[in-house]
Order: sequence, then structure tokens, then C-alpha cells
Amino acid sequence: MDLSRETRAACPRPHTLVSRRALLGALALLVAAQFPSAQFPSALAAEKAPPPRLPVVASFSILGDLVRTVGGSRVDVAAIVGPDGDAHVYQPTPQDGRRLAAARLVFVNGLGFEGWIDRLVAASKTKARIVIASRAVTPRTDGEGVDPHAWQDVANVKIYVANIRDALVDADPEGAELYKSNAARYLHDLGGLDAEIVAAIGGIPQARRRVVSTHDAFGYFSARYGVEFIAPQGVSTDAEASARDLARIVDAVRAHRVGAVFLENIVDPRFARRIAAETGAKVGGTLYSDALSAPDGPAPTYLRLMRHNVKQLTEALAP
Amino acid sequence: MSAAGSIRLDNVTLGYERRPAVHHLTGVVEAGAALAICGPNGAGKSTLLKGLAGLLAPIGGRIVWDGFSPRDIAYLPQSAEIDHAFPIDVLDFVSMGAMRRIGLFGRIGGEERARIATAIASVGLEGFEDRQIGTLSGGQMQRALFARLLVEDSPIILLDEPFGAIDAKTIDDLVTIMAGWREERRTVIAILHELDLARRAFPQALLLAREPVFWGPTREALSDSRLAEANRMVEAFNRDAEDCRRDETPHAA
Amino acid sequence: MLHELLVAPFVDYEFMRRALIGAVALSISGCPLGVFLILRRMSLAGDALSHAILPGAAIGYLACGLSLPAMTFGGLVAGLAVAVASSAAARWTALREDASLAAFYLVSLALGVALVSLKGSNVDLLHVLFGSVLALDDATLIFLAAIASVTLTALALAYRALALDTFDPLFARRASPLGEWIPFAFLALVVLNLVAGFHALGTLMAVGIIMLPAASARLWTRDLTMTLPLAAAIGVASSYFGLVLSFHSGLAAGPVIILVAGAAYFASLIFGQTGGVVRLWRPKRHLEG
Repeated sequence: MDLSRETRAACPRPHTLVSRRALLGALALLVAAQFPSAQFPSALAAEKAPPPRLPVVASFSILGDLVRTVGGSRVDVAAIVGPDGDAHVYQPTPQDGRRLAAARLVFVNGLGFEGWIDRLVAASKTKARIVIASRAVTPRTDGEGVDPHAWQDVANVKIYVANIRDALVDADPEGAELYKSNAARYLHDLGGLDAEIVAAIGGIPQARRRVVSTHDAFGYFSARYGVEFIAPQGVSTDAEASARDLARIVDAVRAHRVGAVFLENIVDPRFARRIAAETGAKVGGTLYSDALSAPDGPAPTYLRLMRHNVKQLTEALAP
Repeated sequence: MSAAGSIRLDNVTLGYERRPAVHHLTGVVEAGAALAICGPNGAGKSTLLKGLAGLLAPIGGRIVWDGFSPRDIAYLPQSAEIDHAFPIDVLDFVSMGAMRRIGLFGRIGGEERARIATAIASVGLEGFEDRQIGTLSGGQMQRALFARLLVEDSPIILLDEPFGAIDAKTIDDLVTIMAGWREERRTVIAILHELDLARRAFPQALLLAREPVFWGPTREALSDSRLAEANRMVEAFNRDAEDCRRDETPHAA
Repeated sequence: MLHELLVAPFVDYEFMRRALIGAVALSISGCPLGVFLILRRMSLAGDALSHAILPGAAIGYLACGLSLPAMTFGGLVAGLAVAVASSAAARWTALREDASLAAFYLVSLALGVALVSLKGSNVDLLHVLFGSVLALDDATLIFLAAIASVTLTALALAYRALALDTFDPLFARRASPLGEWIPFAFLALVVLNLVAGFHALGTLMAVGIIMLPAASARLWTRDLTMTLPLAAAIGVASSYFGLVLSFHSGLAAGPVIILVAGAAYFASLIFGQTGGVVRLWRPKRHLEG
């Protein structure tokens, strides 16, 4: 039996948010540290307290990574759906409610990605501001409705980053400098990534830019970078397959001579393997769509996730 | 047929959840004996039979099967305990008796088949082989049960009210079979409500009214005075009963 | 035209052939077991046991991640543990088999849910564990075939013993020292088939294919030696026509197979020779003797 290679590390690092008391205490120390440092340079250097961290929550790991990058050392980010988690079917726990209650900002993807977030927000009675990262992103629709996976297009992520930066600046004006410079640097990196991807896909012959993937999460990627994704299952991960749909995919793979079949990191991989076996297509590596990998995996940050996916695609589709 | 031994009862108490249904019974059932167990309702007769068959462990005293295992005993339960709706025909049902010899997975060979056929004929159920047991009358079912016992060919046979609610002709036929067992020196113990049958066919009787009233020759056991004594027994359990101390030696004051 | 409808899908697509083989294997071994479940008055046991396997699968997941062999093995162990524990409790305590099974499977289920929630990364465990008939890989097919062989062999050898224990357990226990173990062995077989079925075919299908054809078969014949193969045949037919229907209509495969089996059941309710409604309304003339 084929083993899925995902071996879990220990439980995800607990992101304990700072309690209100600790926050006050830290603030007090910060105020104290404003005393003329010239008088007691060495002592102050030893006593200088770390700046207070803004407690924020992101709904899932990819978003968490973006927020962490922009927020830097001034924010303490916890992601509700962790690495390799499936946000579509996630069941919130009481701990999530507590995290929400303690947070100042809550970043969500929006576009219907987190079906459970409204109830969780209401239940936690949090006073945090809810920030929709995908605001101002032009959404795609497909057969199932609005496709939420906007982050698969790097250009959209630039919009996400801008929204995140603005929200952070608004919540924590003192950190504005830091946020703006972090965001600027990240936007630059994203620009580079975008160009990289365009070039990489450009290197694949037009006729071969077609793959089958188990999760219909790459609509934005497909639209932007010109690779066609055919999926056996719908956008939701628990739609069950019919024989007719599977037959159509097999037909499509055969007819279009699709070169590769890809497994996604959270759905039953047996479908993709079956299609690959039946059509002679190659089974590509794992594509990460809805979540980062574990820290020791190939996609622990958004940048590495996109680079990993593109590498898998180009390798599998190389003539 | 393997050799039978005796069954010895040493101060046996049998019951459920500490309530005695049979209280302090001592005696021996000799090999080849024919014993009728009689008594009023609730006297503990079925409980005693289950104990003798090894199905119920005593809550006081002990039962000793001398020279054989209680597994060798053939036991006929009251008819109600069998699932009549089960889709099995008479032939398969009677064939079950052979399992003791051939094991659960053995094949039924020619010798066994002959034995089964003879048994079915002996009880007068020829022609009924394909009938589902659910379609049999009370008397026919009882005959089928006897046929199974015949196939089991056991040296000790225990029967719980084998003649309840069946017609006279069947009773006569079955009594004849039991007489045949006696001739073959099998031990037969039967719970009977039909006292005249007990007097007719069983030389020994145990009159039980939770406590043994009498155990010995049938004529004496089933005499009018003894029967009256047994009927005086209280049926319901004593709600305020304390631990039974009958077996302990009395303390010096 | 008929060829196009009924045969072509299996000729053209290997996944259809595999689906058919897998479903047939499960029908042949599971449906006879279903008949015995009905006779032993344990018709809901399949559903209960299907929940009982969850903590085993959860432990497999905690230990080895999304590893199907680990989760299958864990599920098997948990299912067998619950089956054995409930049988033992039924034998030696006041509770009957249905109550003790209910108790144990509920504890097992709660344990499984708690364990899964521990992990944090909240993958829909059951969804991953329970596959689809359309995605049977080699290893799963071999697994199914092995389970079917084991079950059929066991049934062939122990058919009489099982019938005896179902019908007169007191006698079975006395007929042989092995008689004590028959209820355990039977439940173990059921768990084996359930886990194989879940793993390959999804939870709905596994329990459905075990119980529905068996219920239908009982409405056509009283003879046990006929009921068993008839149940298997109905299961096989349901699998075949269910797959064909899923192919042409676009409905999900597992549920459609069960719906076809359900249709067979309704038809049996109406037209069955030994229990159908029609027979009651229009009884045949009675026989001479």
C-alpha cells in the first residue's frame, strides 16, 4: 500500500498569546524605558524590555505566514487551521475561541473559505477587528460558486499584503514604520516570485500545460499563469466521486494527452494514482494548495510553497 | 457409549444472585439410575437440573461428576429456550446431535447418517426430514428433540419437563424410548409434573421444595403426606433474609 | 445498444473493472455474514461497529500520520476489541449483546473523537480513511480479495457450527469446547469485512452491502443454504447495476449501489415468496396434503 509521506512532527508550536496583565506590565516597562537612556546606558541596555507584541489570529497557515512576515517582531500570530490542515472541513475547538477572544485583529481569507468563522467569532465574543485579506481582489467563479483560493495568484497576494499592512498600521500606529518596510520588502520579493513563475511556465511547451489535480484549488493559478488544471472532485473536499465524472477525466487526460497527475496534500491520493495508472500519465509530486507544510517540509512559507509547486509542475511537465 | 459415572451432591446450594433456589441438597445419583424430580412451581427443579448439567455453578457446596465430564451429559431444555423461527429443517436439527462426536467442523459420514435416520424413525418423524422446525406442532417438536438426544448417544440424559403440553400418543412413544434408555443402563434424570408417569416409569424420585423433602423410592417420595409437605413451601423469596449460617459451627457463648 | 449501456463502461475503463471486482468481492463475503447478523438479531451491529473502529484509526493516524496501513490496522484492532469486549460482557454479565455492544461502541467512538481533536490539525479522519470504490489500487484489491477468501473459507468450514450457535447456543457450547468461541469468531469476521469495506468502499457502502441484500434474500426463501448464496447474488447484482447507473447518470458510485440494493429490498418486500406483501393479498390455493 502506498504510504503517504506526511509524517507529522509533534503538535504545532503553541502560540500562547500574551495575557492582558502581561501586556500592561510590558507597556509599563516600555514607558519606564523612555527615561533618558543617556544616564544609565549599560543598565538600561540590560533592562530594555522587548516591545509589546500585538496579538493577532489568522484563520489558516498561509495567511498566518503573510501576517507574520508583514508584522515581524511586533505581532504574535496564531493560525487556527495549522499546516496540512483542511480549512474547508475544520471543526473549531474551545482553544480557538480563546485565542480569538484575546486577539486584537483577526485575519480571514473571505470569499467563503472559512465556513465556520462567523460562528466562532460570535461564540468567542471577541472584540477584535475582522480583516478580510482578500478585499479588493477580483474573485473568480467556477461551477461551484466563488473560488476562494485567491492566493494561488501572486498578484492577489500583493493585495493581501497591502490589506494586512494597512490593518496593522491602523491597529498599531507605532509600528507603522516597521510594517511598511516589511511589507515593501515582501512585495518586492513577491514581484520576483511572480516573474519567476511566469518564466518557468513559459519554459513548458504550450501543448503540455495541462495537469490533473485532486483538488480544484488552482483556478487562480491557472487563469494567471496559463496552466490548465483538471480536477476529479469539486472545490469542496468532501464531494464524492461518480463513475461518470471519473470517466470523463480519464477521457480528458487521454484526449488532451495530459502529462501529469498531481496529489494534493489533504485529500485521498488514491484517485489521482488511479487516473495516472489508467492513462499512463506521470504522478507528480504533492502540490500544496490550502495549507503550508510542516516547518520541516518543503512548503513552510508562502514563497517556498509557490516555488515548490512550480518546481513540481515544471519537472512533471518537462517534455 | 462411554461409561457413565455417578453424580455426587455435597450440601449443594444453587441460585441466582445469592438467592437460593435449591437449598442444601446432598445425595448421589448412581450410574444407570432413573430419577424423577418433582415438586411445586418455583421449587428449584430446573435450577437443579442446570446445576447437574454443569450449566450453573453452585453458590454453596459442590457437585462432583465422578469419572466423566459434564460435557458428556445430554440436556433437554424446556422447549421455550429454542428459537423456533430459525430456518433449519428437521434433518439438520437432528444431525446436530452428532456434533459432540464429530466436532463442530466434522463431516457427517455414512455411519452418522444411518444413526440419524434411525433416530428419526424411532421417534416417528419419518417423512418430516425437510420440514422447517418452525412448522412443527408441539408434539412433533418434542419428538425431534428426542431424536437429537438419541443421536447424541450420551450415557447421561437430563430432561426438563419433556412432556409439557403434548398429546398422549406422543407421550406414550417417548416413554417407550426412555424405557429403552433404562435398558441400556443410561442414567436418566427427568423433571416431571405428571406424577403418575413418575410412579410408572421411575424407580427413584426426588421431591424438591427448594429444600429436599425426600429422595428415595418413588412410592414413598410421592406419597400424599410428602406432597402436602412440599406444597406448604413458600414460593416467594424472603425479602428480609440474612446470610445463611447453617454451615458454620456454632460459637461458644 | 445494450452493450453500450451495460458492458462498454467496464471494457473501456480499468477503474470500472476494479470497482466491480472490489464490490463483488465484498458482496460475496459480506452478504452471507449479513444473513447471520439478521438471524442473530444483530442487524444494527454493523453500524455500531463502524463507529467503534474510529479510535483505532485515530491512534494509527497519531502514530504514523496519514498512513493507510497504520489506520487500517488500528481500525481492525479497535473493532475487534469492541467486538470481543461486548461478546464477553454479554456472556458473563446481565447485559445482552445489543446493550453491551451499544455501550462499548459509544465509548470507543467518544475516545476516537477526543483523540483526533488532540492532534490539532483537524483533518477529517473518517473522510480520509474511508475510500471510494472508484479508486481501488492494487494493495486494496488484494486486501479485499484476501478478506473474501478468509471469510468464505471460514463460512464453508464453520457454517454448521455458526448456524448451531445462532439457533441453540447452549447446545453449541456443550457440543464442543470450541463452541464458546463461535460468537467471538463471528464478530471478528464481521469486523474484518467492515474494515475492508470501509477502507475500500466507504462507510455507507460497507454496512449497506452487508445488510440490504441479506434482508432481501430472507424474503424469498426460508432455506438457509439457499439464503446465503442468494444474498451474495443480490449483492453482486446491486454492485453491477449500481456502477452502471453511476456511470451513466453522474451520481456518486457508493450511494447509488446502496440505492439499487434498497430497490431490490423494496421489490422483495412486495413480491417476495416467503414474506412479500403480494403473497398475503393473493394467496395461492392450499395443497392437497
